[in-house]
Order: sequence, then structure tokens, then C-alpha cells
Amino acid sequence: MSYSLEEVIELITAVGVETFDIRTITVGISLLTCADEDVDRCAAKVYEKVMRTAANLVPTAKAIERKFGIPIVNKRISVSPIAQIAGACKGDTVVPIAAALDRAATELGVDFVGGFTANIQKGFTRGDQLLVNSIPDALSTTKRVCSSVNVGSSAAGINMDGVYRMAQIMKETAERTRDSDGLGCAKLVIFCNQPEDNPFMAGACHGVGEAEAILHVGISGPGVVRAALANAGALDFGELSELIKKTSFKITRVGELVGREASRMMGIPFGVIDLSLAPTPAEGDSIADILEAMGLERTGCHGTTAALALLNDAVKKGGVMACTYAGGLSGAFIPVTEDASMCRAVEEGVLTIQKLEAMTCVCSVGLDMVAIPGDTSVEVLAGIIADEMAIGMINHKTTAVRLIPVPGKKAGDIVDFGGLLGKGPIMDVVRQSPAGFVKRGGRIPAPIHSMKN
Amino acid sequence: MNSEKRERVVITALGANKPGVLAGITKTIAESNVNVEDVTQKIMQDLFALMMVTDVAQANCSFDEFQSRMQKAADELKVKIFIQHEDVFKFMHRL
Repeated sequence: MSYSLEEVIELITAVGVETFDIRTITVGISLLTCADEDVDRCAAKVYEKVMRTAANLVPTAKAIERKFGIPIVNKRISVSPIAQIAGACKGDTVVPIAAALDRAATELGVDFVGGFTANIQKGFTRGDQLLVNSIPDALSTTKRVCSSVNVGSSAAGINMDGVYRMAQIMKETAERTRDSDGLGCAKLVIFCNQPEDNPFMAGACHGVGEAEAILHVGISGPGVVRAALANAGALDFGELSELIKKTSFKITRVGELVGREASRMMGIPFGVIDLSLAPTPAEGDSIADILEAMGLERTGCHGTTAALALLNDAVKKGGVMACTYAGGLSGAFIPVTEDASMCRAVEEGVLTIQKLEAMTCVCSVGLDMVAIPGDTSVEVLAGIIADEMAIGMINHKTTAVRLIPVPGKKAGDIVDFGGLLGKGPIMDVVRQSPAGFVKRGGRIPAPIHSMKN
Repeated sequence: MNSEKRERVVITALGANKPGVLAGITKTIAESNVNVEDVTQKIMQDLFALMMVTDVAQANCSFDEFQSRMQKAADELKVKIFIQHEDVFKFMHRL
């Protein structure tokens, strides 16, 4: 088999110029064997199991990078929802488990570890209470631990007590990390329909239906899609979709190869590819740039939701043909501070939080990396979370909220989280209070179309 | 079908065209006992683009060592070089 020079240069250009990379190899590890009534003993078991299972993750990723000439940006670990083992612990904190995860991640050279997680869509267990109460402490005293809490699902409805409690936790976490502009909240996601096999942070966890250990791959390539569109000239919608599908197919194939190779080298089964377009603050590595290459003057103008819908659908159609198992979040991400052109649209007043909410109806996640004023009330936060959860519940899709109420800052101020988390303007929110609604207590019932049996 | 183990690697070199570039690259390949199976070369506006499909199965050094040797040769010739296992192109461009 031979290849043309053009085919070879296409990949070299994608990596070298269009910032194509494998965003993450994430090893999922079940920690259900680590439960113990003594939290320190539990933490020791967690540390040992993570160290043992993921020992070869970073060397494997580096070897694959060299072999194929494809950068693998992040090496990550996801673990069983810690609330599942927390319930066995006596005492009133599970922060030592977060500390053990953080230490293991640091020693393994892993970027993030996700799974400080609870599933409370129908109610709180003792383990859920312990975990949720420990989140502000855990996120302010660790660097690499990520937390996620699922408060709603299409089958169960939305636990509004959970929504309100998570609004309080978000506010408290921001306060506890005031010195770094509320950075703790960048490691906290609130979900509806949280996937059990998502390799992306901050929402990764190793769901209870997963195997003992498994390996997932998250791909990324907004720059490649943008370049393909920019070079294509005038296309109608069918041709536009076709071009995105072909590009998505090619980049997903590389992810499939990397996943198979990593699985073979580590002796851990290959789980899924997450067919995602994940932006970074780097020039050109932007979802907003793709939307603008499709013909929008600025992301956020009328037509943005339709353009994003077309993009998201075409990415999935192209990607699903390229891999054996697709999973995770699979779709375009729209994290505001992580996408330089998205930030520009906010600064120019074109992209508002209301438009972002509409966009989350047709893309893979939700209100992601949105910095808001630090004096936003718990009730308003709960209202924003509830709206986003309702979109997920009704539409049978994953939605999520990762908001950073930046202490001491107001709308229009700039906040800089550094690295992949990026920098951007603080977005305004509606100030009128939804307190009379969000504090009623109980659950919003599941929608009628959840009853499919 | 050839039952011998093959390990195909695609070598791409890009840079300014000048005498000795092709010779310099192939010299290191030969010294590593790597077999060249296919060569494509183009000059595009004084830019030199070379792509070789090679078999490293009988190489006298490890893949890492081969990459280092080739990188050293490329640095001396002032060209950019990419040494990538064939599978990445097979997965991306072939069904």
C-alpha cells in the first residue's frame, strides 16, 4: 500500500498548522472495591489501586505520540463516583479520598482525575451527602481532582433540592478559591443525563455500568474543520455537511488508532471514542471560528444555533462511521473562556448567556466555562442550573453547567484562569430572582415521553 | 502474500531545495538498514518535499533510535522531518 504526498502532508499540516491533536486518553478505574468504614484506609486503597492500574498511562501516551507523530495533550483518569464508596465511611468528610486521588495523579504525571462525583437525580444517600458537603474543601485543597454531580435525568426528572444545594456548593467553592478568581468552580460540573464513559474533564467519571478498568479517547480538531471550510469556497448546506463529515471521519480514525494502540500496550480494554470538537485558547483552535467560517459575521448573531446544529450533527455522522464504539459527550463543545473567538463575541456584546443557553440545545454539553459576577445570588445560580437541566431532561440529551461566579468581580471584567482554561470576560446574568420557584422543594417530575416501556 | 514481518514507516522531509538533501537522508536510512519501498519527491516553488515508505523491520536499531538518527540528519541538512508509522495514514486515508 502506498500513499500520495498530499495525503501525508494533509496530516502533517493538520498537526503542525491546524492544531489537531488527541485531546485525551482517559483510563477509567472502578474503585468499588475500595470502600472502608475508615476514610483514611479507604483513601489508601484508592491511592494504591489508581497507582497500580494507571502506572503505564503516561509512558504509553508518549510512545504513541512518537510512533504516529500525533500529540496527545492530556493523560487523565476517571474513577467510580466517589459517593458510591463514601457511604461506608464513618465521620463527616471524604476530603482524604480527594487528597489521595490528587497525590496519585501528581505522581503519575496525569493532568486531571475525575469522579469526585454523586448521582442525586432522585435523592441523596448518606454517601451523596458526604461527598457534596466535601466538594468546596476538596476542590480548594487539591489541584487535579474534578467533581461532577448529576442532578437530573430524562427518566427521573430534576432533583430541585439537589439543584439548590449545588448552587450553594458552587458559591462556596468560588469563595474558597477567591485568590484564584474562583478557579475551584472550573473543576465542578453539574449535569443532567451525565454519561458514564465521558473522557473529558471536568465531568469524567467511571460509571457503575463500566468494567473494572477501561480506556477512552477524546479527540479534538476544531482547527482542522475550520481550515477545511475556509479552503472550500461556496458550498450549499448539503456540501457543507459533507465536508465536515469527511473531516470528522479522518480525525476520528486517528483517535481510533490511538485508542486501539493504547489499549493493546496497557492491557486495558478500549471503551469509546468521544467524537468531540474541543477548542483551546490557541489561535484558530476555536468552535466560534468554525461558525464564522460558515458565514456568520460573529458567533452569537441570529443563525448561530442553526449553524451549530449543522456542525454538531455532521461531526457525529462522520465520526460514528470511523470508530467501533462512540460514547461520552460526542459533539461540539462551547466552553466560553477556552475559546478565544467566543470570548471576542462576548466582549463585543454579540454573544449573551441567553444565546449560549439556546446553543446548548443543539450541542454536546451546556453552559461551559462561563464566568459570571461574583455577587450572583444562590437563587439565580439555581435558576440557571434548573433551566439547563430542563433542556437536557426534555430533549433526552446531556446538559451541564460549569459556571464560575468570580468573587469580587463584575460583568465586563476580565478573568484569567491560565492554560487550557483560558481567559475571558465576565458575562452578565439576569438579576430578577427566581427564589419563589427554585426553593419550592422536591423534584420536577420526569417528562411524559420518558415512559417508553 | 509475503509472510515476513514488515514494519512500515513513512518518512517525510520538507525544506529548502539544495544539492545533497536526498543523499543525506537516504545515507542515514541505509546506515540503519532500513529498506526504502517507495519514494515520491516534488519541488514546489524551491521547496523540497520528499515522502518515502520504508520498512524498518530489519533495522539495526530501535524505532526511537532510528527517529533520533533521522532527526540529527535533518537538523544538519536544515530540513523538517517526520517519521510516522504507516498505520496512521492507513487509518486516516484508507477504508
